[in-house]
Amino acid sequence: MADLTTKLGKLILKNPVMTASGTYGYGKEYSEFYPLNSLGAIMVKGISPEPVYGNPMPRVCETASGMLNAIGLQNPGVEKFISNEEYMPFLRKNSATVIVNIWGKSIDDYRYVAERLDDVEGVHALEINISCPNIKEGGIAFGTDLKVAAKVISEVRKATSLPLITKLSPNVTKIADFAKVVVDEGSDMISLINTLTGMAIDIETRRPKLANVTGGLSGAAIKPVAIKMVYDVANAVDVPIIGMGGIFNADDAIEFFLAGADAIAVGTANFINPTAPIDIISGINKYLDDNQFNHINDIIGKVII
Amino acid sequence: MITENSKIIKNRNIKGEYYQIDFYSPEIVKTVFPGQFVHVQVTGLRDKIFRRPFSIFDVSDDGVLSVIYKVVGEGTDILSKLREGEYCNLLGPLGSSYQSPEHNEKALLVVGGYGSASTYLLAKKLKGKGTIFLGAKNSSELILIDEYKKLGFDVKIATEDGSVGKQGLVTSLLAPYLNGENLKVYACGPNPMMYAMGRMLADTKINVELSLDHPMCCGVGACFACVLKVKAGNEQGWEYARSCKEGPVFNLKDIYLEA
Repeated sequence: MADLTTKLGKLILKNPVMTASGTYGYGKEYSEFYPLNSLGAIMVKGISPEPVYGNPMPRVCETASGMLNAIGLQNPGVEKFISNEEYMPFLRKNSATVIVNIWGKSIDDYRYVAERLDDVEGVHALEINISCPNIKEGGIAFGTDLKVAAKVISEVRKATSLPLITKLSPNVTKIADFAKVVVDEGSDMISLINTLTGMAIDIETRRPKLANVTGGLSGAAIKPVAIKMVYDVANAVDVPIIGMGGIFNADDAIEFFLAGADAIAVGTANFINPTAPIDIISGINKYLDDNQFNHINDIIGKVII
Repeated sequence: MITENSKIIKNRNIKGEYYQIDFYSPEIVKTVFPGQFVHVQVTGLRDKIFRRPFSIFDVSDDGVLSVIYKVVGEGTDILSKLREGEYCNLLGPLGSSYQSPEHNEKALLVVGGYGSASTYLLAKKLKGKGTIFLGAKNSSELILIDEYKKLGFDVKIATEDGSVGKQGLVTSLLAPYLNGENLKVYACGPNPMMYAMGRMLADTKINVELSLDHPMCCGVGACFACVLKVKAGNEQGWEYARSCKEGPVFNLKDIYLEA
């Protein structure tokens, strides 16, 4: 049995498999299939200062080997997340390793949520979602402008001593530049990729399939883009990298490790196979054993170029 | 809820556009409540990945779970061609269920099209005590009339083209029956019919449960794709609830009806 202990800076996890933000609610639903503490970590659905109700329906549509989503970041807001039974208390009771994804409509929002979560028991790290629209600047995503992305990270860094993960948007020309900038501003780790912007049209009604018109593409279709970006970022910065995008099985996960990811997250796959993350943990073990590797570290970044 | 690799016992066209598929799913069957659904991974769906949700029509003591469906797209088309002996992975049972009437409540079932499949397990539980109003566009869309009669239900029919029963919408049959005391209405049909019933009965004292479903993704409540508006004590008076988790069965008093 290989050793899957994963060291991400100050964060030490029992294995490198996490669940991706937005695909796992706040842990309650999938806890009925397996214990939450079997996972390396859970990245909960993005938390904002106030409750957000989300977008009108339809919020998702199926696409070839994937899906588009425009859920609209529905969440209970940071106060309810901290104190309501079904959120942080539930996660603590189930000994989950919790990474809280945070977002806002303004830089102040990010800083506020980070401050509120700084000393909450059971929060192991924050994942900064910069793929949402910057309402104050006309709705362009925070994560598609280097200066703005830098400012978000720098403000969050001042607000908390928790380990910080920046979740990068792939909807940029050169992701390595964003990786460098957020690390310079104090991000301890990088996670990538978030969804690719996409669209679908119903030819019977001649209207977009999503009420929001556009949405984020996820699933197997985006895996090659994600792997290439993990590879680019791994060659640009030295911090731990959490890779995600279309991971459905252990083979997919291994590709990400070889490309340079220190850990991976499973997202869309949860919807199809509720035990996907658990199956992936055992598949990773099997690959390492079959190939005579003793430790997960033995394959990280080891793609032979 | 669990996943179970389920063997197809039978899969056939039963009437008009309706098909019935029977799965051997003994573990899921153990915990099914009336009104719940099952999320089916259609084997051979090529590059489309979502599971397809179906109301559970019937379960047997032998562990057989039956679903009635129509071919409405790629998933159901491939489902209709799967053969006895093939397997599908089922996730379930999922969602909220119809709550049995209080001891003195009289049950009125109001169903449209193959909504009649959703209330069948409830009807079995009620042991023939109740009336069912079946509505459809035409006679070929009416199913399960004999099955409800066999349970002892009083069956009333309406078709839009008048080919069977009264001509018109099924809701037009209801008025004379709504004046009694201690009534409980259970309804399942197309969403427009559900909301029309909701508006019709909102100001009465009648206890009403509606089965409302919206296109789903995960089916278990993790992704927030399938939401609909329910009443809330906030400024705007509503929030979003998940039709796979808080639903598909909702009590009318909780539903937010748009003006």
